[in-house]
Amino acid sequence: MAARAQGWLAIAGVVAAGVVLTLVVQERYHHRVLTLVFLWAAMGLAWNIISGYAGQISFGHQVFFGIGAYVTVLLVVKTGLTPWIGMGLAVAVAVLAAVLIGLPTFRLGGIYFGLATLAYPLIFRIVMDWLGYQEVAIPMIRERPGWFMQFTEPRSFDLLALGVLAATLVLSRLIETSRLGYRLRAVKENEQAAEAMGVDAFRAKMAAYALSAVPAAVVGAVYIHAILFIVTPDAVFGLLVISQTLVVALVGGIGTLWGPLIGAAVMVPVSEVLDSTVGDRLPGIQGVVYGAALMLIMIGAPDGLYWRVHQLIRSRAARGAAASRPAIVAAGGDAAVASAPAGGVLLEVRDVSKAFIGLQALSDVGFDVHEREILGVIGPNGAGKTTLFNVLNGFLVPDRGEVRLRGERVTGLRPSALCRRGLGRTFQVVRTFPRLSVLENVMVGAFVHARAVGRARAVAVAALAQVGLEDRADDVPGGLTTLELRLMELARCLATSPRLVLLDEPLAGLSSDGVDVMIAMIRRVRGRGVTVVIIEHTMQALLRLADRLIVLDQGRRLAEGAPAEVTRNPAVIEAYLGKRWLARMGKPAC
Amino acid sequence: MVLAELVQYVATGLLVGGVYALMSIGLALIFGVMRVVNFAQGDFMMLGMYLTYFYAMSGIDPLLGAILTIPPFFVLGWLVHRGLLARVTGGGDPQRQMDAQLILTLGLSLVITNATTMILTPTPRGIRTAYATQAFALGPVLLNQARSYAFAMALVLAAAVYVFLTRTDAGRALRAAADDPEAASYQGIDVRAMHGLAFGVGIALVAAAGGLLATYYPIEPSVAGNFIVLMFVAVVLGGLGSIPGAFVGGLVIGLVQSLTLLVLPFQLQNTGVFIVFLLVLYLRPQGLFGRRARTV
Amino acid sequence: MLTISGLGVTYGGLRALTGVSLEVREGEFVTLVGPNGAGKTTLLKAISGTVTAAEGRIAYRGRDLGRMRASERAALGIAHVPEGRRVFATLSVMENLELGSYRRAARAHRAQALETVLELFPLLRARRAQLAGSLSGGEQQMLALGRGLMAQPDLLLLDEPSQGLGPRIVEQIFETIDRIRRERRLTILLVEQRVVEALELCDRGYVLETGRVVLDGGREALLADTRVQRAYLGG
Repeated sequence: MAARAQGWLAIAGVVAAGVVLTLVVQERYHHRVLTLVFLWAAMGLAWNIISGYAGQISFGHQVFFGIGAYVTVLLVVKTGLTPWIGMGLAVAVAVLAAVLIGLPTFRLGGIYFGLATLAYPLIFRIVMDWLGYQEVAIPMIRERPGWFMQFTEPRSFDLLALGVLAATLVLSRLIETSRLGYRLRAVKENEQAAEAMGVDAFRAKMAAYALSAVPAAVVGAVYIHAILFIVTPDAVFGLLVISQTLVVALVGGIGTLWGPLIGAAVMVPVSEVLDSTVGDRLPGIQGVVYGAALMLIMIGAPDGLYWRVHQLIRSRAARGAAASRPAIVAAGGDAAVASAPAGGVLLEVRDVSKAFIGLQALSDVGFDVHEREILGVIGPNGAGKTTLFNVLNGFLVPDRGEVRLRGERVTGLRPSALCRRGLGRTFQVVRTFPRLSVLENVMVGAFVHARAVGRARAVAVAALAQVGLEDRADDVPGGLTTLELRLMELARCLATSPRLVLLDEPLAGLSSDGVDVMIAMIRRVRGRGVTVVIIEHTMQALLRLADRLIVLDQGRRLAEGAPAEVTRNPAVIEAYLGKRWLARMGKPAC
Repeated sequence: MVLAELVQYVATGLLVGGVYALMSIGLALIFGVMRVVNFAQGDFMMLGMYLTYFYAMSGIDPLLGAILTIPPFFVLGWLVHRGLLARVTGGGDPQRQMDAQLILTLGLSLVITNATTMILTPTPRGIRTAYATQAFALGPVLLNQARSYAFAMALVLAAAVYVFLTRTDAGRALRAAADDPEAASYQGIDVRAMHGLAFGVGIALVAAAGGLLATYYPIEPSVAGNFIVLMFVAVVLGGLGSIPGAFVGGLVIGLVQSLTLLVLPFQLQNTGVFIVFLLVLYLRPQGLFGRRARTV
Repeated sequence: MLTISGLGVTYGGLRALTGVSLEVREGEFVTLVGPNGAGKTTLLKAISGTVTAAEGRIAYRGRDLGRMRASERAALGIAHVPEGRRVFATLSVMENLELGSYRRAARAHRAQALETVLELFPLLRARRAQLAGSLSGGEQQMLALGRGLMAQPDLLLLDEPSQGLGPRIVEQIFETIDRIRRERRLTILLVEQRVVEALELCDRGYVLETGRVVLDGGREALLADTRVQRAYLGG
């Protein structure tokens, strides 16, 4: 709680400092620099919402900047509408543009997203040229100039820009501390894991993009009135705008409020001073400085100065706290919940087939999962076990067949939808959100059903207590042991209130003590009424744990039944060790 | 519209496309082997143009000058890779690495364009040759001589690249490193050295293309920005990482650009190119010859 | 030729190997079996250099491989035929083979090696202009084997050549491996899931389970040992 209040106080402090500077600074030129610092910091913060928090690096954010500028000015010129209202309309247009651009573009993965964002400003430039708006000048209004954002007193522009910055800071902070903020960071850190934890990544990205367009449009509108006075396509949709935005946000620190503030406070004065002193003899010095800054940052401190400093401070502190933690004791009740699972059918899998290029991964796989049972899925290498989980979980759509959860057809739903319906999953290699704390990792899962941050936190704390990790809540996943990581993943999954969990090799890489702890934990999970389906290779352990086993081989269901009989089934032995082994051994040994 | 006029536009488009094709091959090679989208590709092309200009001022014909840009730019490319790109790793995450490399090369592009503006001034320069203003007549179609020679040279260089990639050990090793870096290292291929080689060749090619372009296009710092988009579109159209794809993509872009002029004025000639770009990204992101379709 | 002592490897955040020691003498055929997830592939990757060892030592011909890169180890004569074949799909069969002899020592005898390999795998000769990606699984496996042989290696590492292939092809592959073994003086380390075929070919074998060596012995001893089954199916 204290940390949260601290954040707001800090913002208030920054704004107050801004006001002080505005009053103190004397020369007209220095006011201009101050205005620019505020505006570019706000622009950097806007970019940060989509590229920092959500991790979708956009190279075309100047589209919204330009829309803000053009719409506002054109409204003044054509209809005489005051820019104070015109700005609002410009924001609406920018948000619409964000939705229209985002809809097709967020479906692109990887580098294609970045390339697509490059194209839009260029298109807008061409369109503006074509419409004949190569140069739109703001008409000088003599009566009530303030009504038209044409101030004579430079301090007024400073305050206006500071106001924009303050509003953007507030917006950023609200996002950071909201459910959306947690989900965005989860998507950024590990999109697949986020999906599996119930985060609809597409919706989250769209929300972030639309929100990021708002301050950008406002900055554009103010920039034109305060600095440029004439709108040209190149000035507002051009490369220099995005470069400046990138420099401010990247040099300062990506994914944090403070980054763009630092970046703007450092880079804008530097470049302005250079421009005014040597700009005539060395045209383009600004570009060189920005370019060099980008390169140096990418090589030396890719996440920006803020995080570099943060890291240095943290590693010094952590050196003290690295004392050994007490090993997690397998809480009693190992044999307690051997009760008969005989519940109704929870999950039905029918005739599921899936082929990839040159490989039939699954062929007509079908089985039932009963409530509160622990079902083990085994099979030799390449049998299709993980593919099966990916189908059940929504990461893959089967070519044929269907999956029903409590009678409802769920084939082809995305992972986040399945998670909301009560199907949870852990991964073979633990997929954490590396820069979130353990507690925050688990909170992402809690947000499936909890709307408010406070409620989510409570659910997360309870889940961590269930697995025995309460005192690791504030640590970063990087410092956890393999066992603790798996427990954290389990807690995160439990926080989504699942009816059924798919555990993908939860015992891999654990010591025998760790295996014991994990087994006890899984039993406890079942004891609380959750059904467990588990893929494992550590056969000795699985035999202790599972009620039933299903054997897959080369994509087909080979056998099903109690562990003892399945492992003696000749077909199963043959699948694992080969026909000749079976022949040699005669009757399989006990 | 008269057929002869259409044929003229097609012919011009192809001629110009040939040089675009050469530019794009360099970009495709770099992406294919290193997974780097080199935003500074246009800037190296622009530098190649300037070098060819200086060669021309010393009396060397630009067509030859273009070839002579290859050795120095190969070395430059290799050094840039060693000194800059190899240092940006994105901490193991391939997506972060691609983003970081794109930002790095964007920064590099800013530095090169603006430094060139500072040192050499924005005044456009041109190379005057006898053939720049003359044309071959092929029936009703007029083929500007400079563009024709440039086209021919571009084809020759592209063919040389083809031979290099298919007939030499180093070339095959490059393709192997692009195909499967881990398996390549099992064969004894030093993948990091391959990256340096790919970057060097990619930069050398685009510099040569710049030299060829300089036979009929004005030389100024802003050229870099004009062509980088065309290169990106050509490479995406052909399929990211496919070299024959980039070649075809370049030709197609030349055609699209030329044919756009049938309906739109000169300033809007890239409109058609952007439309193609968006269509490809949304309808068939893997392009014509690409293998990996990336959709979420 | 190859001595591994006390090897420990962490891979993908998990402890893949602990305290593994094994030995392969010159001219020997050693088989490593074990269930999925036992760490067999990780062990081969540690030898060929794609994965670094956290503890322990790998010595090749008396020389500690240390932090040598994969490409340097290949240059020394270690050929790794990877799991899942990993042929260069966008290159032709012929180009794949030619790349096999990329290392300097092998280049001189490329033509000779090519003849021998094509004679061993006539199917590859028939398909030499085809793109490797269009071959069937079994054909790709033969190509991968051929590519490995083109390096004229001293130590051949084979990672689960039977994976994902039908029984008839698997038989063919194992027959070919046996033939290679008999006709040349190669040292071979074979990693497999299929126990009998793999053990029948070897001189000595090791059984790996959850990152540790649990059994080792001569061919006949292991083939008769029921404990091998326990490593796979418990009990």
